[in-house]
Amino acid sequence: MKQLPLAHAHRSLGAQLVEFAGWEMPLKYVSVAEEHLAVRRAVGLFDVSHMGEFSVRGPGAIDFLQHVASNDVAKLTVWGVQYSTILNERGGIMDDVLIHRRREQEFIIVCNAINVEKLNGWFAQHRDEEAIIKDISKTTVMLALQGPKARQVLQPLIKFDLTQLKRYKATETEIAGVRMFMSRSGYTGEDGFELFIFDEPTTNPVRAEKVWKTLLRAGKDTGIRPCGLGARDTTRLEAGLCLYGKELTEEITPLEARIDFVVKFEKGEFIGRAPLLEQKSVGLKHVRVGLRMAEVGVPRQGYGIFKEGKKVGMVTSGTFSPLLKAGIAMGYAKPGLKVGNQISVEIHGKKRAAEIVNWPFYDPARYGRSRR
Amino acid sequence: MVGAGEVPEGLYYSREHEWVKIEGKLARVGVTDYAQSKLGDVVYVELPEVGKQVKQAAEPKGKEMEIGAVESIKAVSAAYSPLSGTVKEVNPSLQERPELINTSPYNEGWICVLEPSALEVELKQLMDAKGYTDYVKKLE
Repeated sequence: MKQLPLAHAHRSLGAQLVEFAGWEMPLKYVSVAEEHLAVRRAVGLFDVSHMGEFSVRGPGAIDFLQHVASNDVAKLTVWGVQYSTILNERGGIMDDVLIHRRREQEFIIVCNAINVEKLNGWFAQHRDEEAIIKDISKTTVMLALQGPKARQVLQPLIKFDLTQLKRYKATETEIAGVRMFMSRSGYTGEDGFELFIFDEPTTNPVRAEKVWKTLLRAGKDTGIRPCGLGARDTTRLEAGLCLYGKELTEEITPLEARIDFVVKFEKGEFIGRAPLLEQKSVGLKHVRVGLRMAEVGVPRQGYGIFKEGKKVGMVTSGTFSPLLKAGIAMGYAKPGLKVGNQISVEIHGKKRAAEIVNWPFYDPARYGRSRR
Repeated sequence: MVGAGEVPEGLYYSREHEWVKIEGKLARVGVTDYAQSKLGDVVYVELPEVGKQVKQAAEPKGKEMEIGAVESIKAVSAAYSPLSGTVKEVNPSLQERPELINTSPYNEGWICVLEPSALEVELKQLMDAKGYTDYVKKLE
């Protein structure tokens, strides 16, 4: 199992560890529910160094990215961040990624840990002679500071005025004397920042440890908590964000996943374009849905979704929402289910009442980055 | 958490991390402190039906050995009966307050009361507090 550079820091905080995508990761430090609520009400700090990063640079960088990614990279300005998908030739999702434009001809792709090797091969196969593609996953530490008080914790530590850093924008800055790349982004539905410390030796991550400790100390009075994968999964699910391997797979297209905004047909040719156009005209066989339990019980991956007694779909990920105190899930179902439709989920052999709902599952006026 | 957590003397323990407290001819059953800490925040407990006949847990595991299921945020785990017998009573408090499994695994968080059918023989399959503490140490 691969060890996070900050493994020692996690152990000393009493983290319960779990294997995820070949990495030994903190599942929780104290309690998933408490860490989850810290992210929704104050701020949480995640070590997500398992995520993969590729650097793409050179005069051919844009052409390469336009070919392998479904979103329009040409629309990305320097310091911009864009959500995108890498598709196979059938239009299925090989990975969902964030593409950061760091310089005119330099991009950072952040991908899922589980897909690093696969993308390595895929990018090599589709490489552009004028683009240098480098897997920098092993030497990159990635931290995520997430929650309504993330800015408050971060601002005193940096010189840059954070009100000037908009959502999906990045910059380069320094915390405790450590240079880093930082974007206003995240995977929780909340306001937050993702920090990248490049060229960090995994065996002696002095700079990363310094930043980790500085952030925890700076957040003390705001109720900051180190957060594990448990809270990462529950917060992303509550926000209605897809997880690769669950909502997104090579057999699912962005249209079915209802993340159409990552597909820009008008930009011209890209891998997967033709099958997606075809799917668009023929129609979808199944689409992603959100549901909330009306009865007790927690929907889980693989559980059947029923309408009027007939099976119409399946749960891909579900949990108990610590905020709503109810079971929530995402899954795939035949098109036609509408928000408010009464359905049921088979849990431990019993059909339990649920309702089709929109994501985010929480009230966006009260939680998440658009809260009032 | 380090080690087995709290392991009260006088109870019997199963490999599946259930505890048994003998109360006359009946046996009260719950999950151990170690088990609840591994499960994490318990959000829902599926209780067995009163009158259900259960068998003492053994390999391979089967439905007839289950005394319900404990759902945490992350996962669902079946609760396996540490003894054979009949379910006489279930803990009604768990319906409203499943978190009692976390906060009071040996008291308020009990799962059910069994009328054992082969108590003397089956108790020999279970561990005492020291035995269970050693057993958990080996798992860690």
